[in-house]
Amino acid sequence: MAVDTEAVRLHRGDPQAMVSLLERYQHRLYRFLVRMVHEPATAEDLFQQTWLRVAENAKRFDPSRGFEPWLFSIARNLTMDYFRRVRPESLDEPLPSGDSRAELLPAVQMSAVEILMREQRTNRLAQAMSELGPIYCEVLTLRFEEEMKLEEIAEVLSIPLPTVKTRLRRALEAMRVKLEKRLPGGELPGWGQQ
Amino acid sequence: MKKGSDMNQHEKTREQMPLATAGALDANEERELSAHLAECSDCSAEFEQWRELGAGLRRMPTPQAPIAMMERVRASLMAQVMARAEQRSNRNMIAWLVLFGWTTTLATWPILRLISHGAEAWLNVSFVHTYHILIGFTVLSWLAAAAAAGVLGARHRSERRLA
Repeated sequence: MAVDTEAVRLHRGDPQAMVSLLERYQHRLYRFLVRMVHEPATAEDLFQQTWLRVAENAKRFDPSRGFEPWLFSIARNLTMDYFRRVRPESLDEPLPSGDSRAELLPAVQMSAVEILMREQRTNRLAQAMSELGPIYCEVLTLRFEEEMKLEEIAEVLSIPLPTVKTRLRRALEAMRVKLEKRLPGGELPGWGQQ
Repeated sequence: MKKGSDMNQHEKTREQMPLATAGALDANEERELSAHLAECSDCSAEFEQWRELGAGLRRMPTPQAPIAMMERVRASLMAQVMARAEQRSNRNMIAWLVLFGWTTTLATWPILRLISHGAEAWLNVSFVHTYHILIGFTVLSWLAAAAAAGVLGARHRSERRLA
C-alpha cells in the first residue's frame, strides 16, 4: 500500500495536512454518517467529533496502515457510541434469539434528507437502506459507496473477514426483501437504473 | 439423483449471488457461479436483479457536506491546533524559566564572592551567613523568573489578541 504523504504529515503534527485530509474526505465521511444515523444534524455532530478525535490522536496514528480505514473506524466507533447513548440497550448484547440488537434496530423516523431523496429515482434504495440496522447499513456503505476492500472493512469494523462476508450477504438479502415489499408485484427490474 | 444435485446447485448459486454482487467470492466460487449461470436461465435472470441492486447501491446520490458545517469543523480544528501549540509553548517557557532560575541561583553567589572579595572583609561577611545569603539570592532569582514569566505571558496574550 502506498503511504499517503498527507497522512504522514498529519502524524508529524502538520495542521495543514489535517485541513487537506478534511477537504479530501468531507463528502465521503459525511455520506457514511448520514447513511448510518439518517439525521443530518446528528451526522454533522459526529462529523465534527470524528475530526476532533483525529486531531487528538494524530500522533498515535500509524501512517503505514492507511488513513482511510482509521478515519472510518473512528467515525464508526463514535456512531456506535451515539447509538448506545440514544438506545440504552447494548448493541453488542445478543437477543435471546441470538441475533444482534444492532441488526434489528427499528427504522429511523423520516428526516429532511430522506424526504429530498424520495423525490429522486433512487428514493427506494435510500429508503430501504435507512430501514436497515446500522450493522447492515455500514457494511453496505463501506463496500458499495466507499468501495473499500473486504480487508479494509474488516479493519474498520474490527471483525474477521468471514463475518464481513456474512454481514454483506445478510445486508443485501435484507435490502432485497425491503425493496420487494415496496414495489408492486414484488419485482425489482430496472429500479437500479438512473 | 441428478435432480437432487441440480437443486443443491441452484441453492448454492442463490446463496452465492449476494456475495457475488458484493464482489466477495473467491476465484473458484466465481468460476462455479459463472458456469451455473451459463446453463441456468432462471438463476441467470435472478442474478441480473442482484447485479442491478449492486449497481443501484453504487450509484446512490452522495449527500454533500454542508459548507457551514465544514467552516465550523475547520474553525474547531484550528482552535484545537492553536490551543495545543500554546500549551507546548507554555511548557517550553516554564522549562526555560526553571533553567534560568537555577542557573542564576547557582551563578550569582560565586560571582558576587569574586567581585566583592575585597569588600567582604570590610563588610565582615562570614561563612556563618552564607546559608542565609544563598536563600536570599534564591528567592530573588525566582522572583525575577516569575516576573519574567508574567511579562512574557502578558506579551503572548496581547500578540494573540492582535492576531
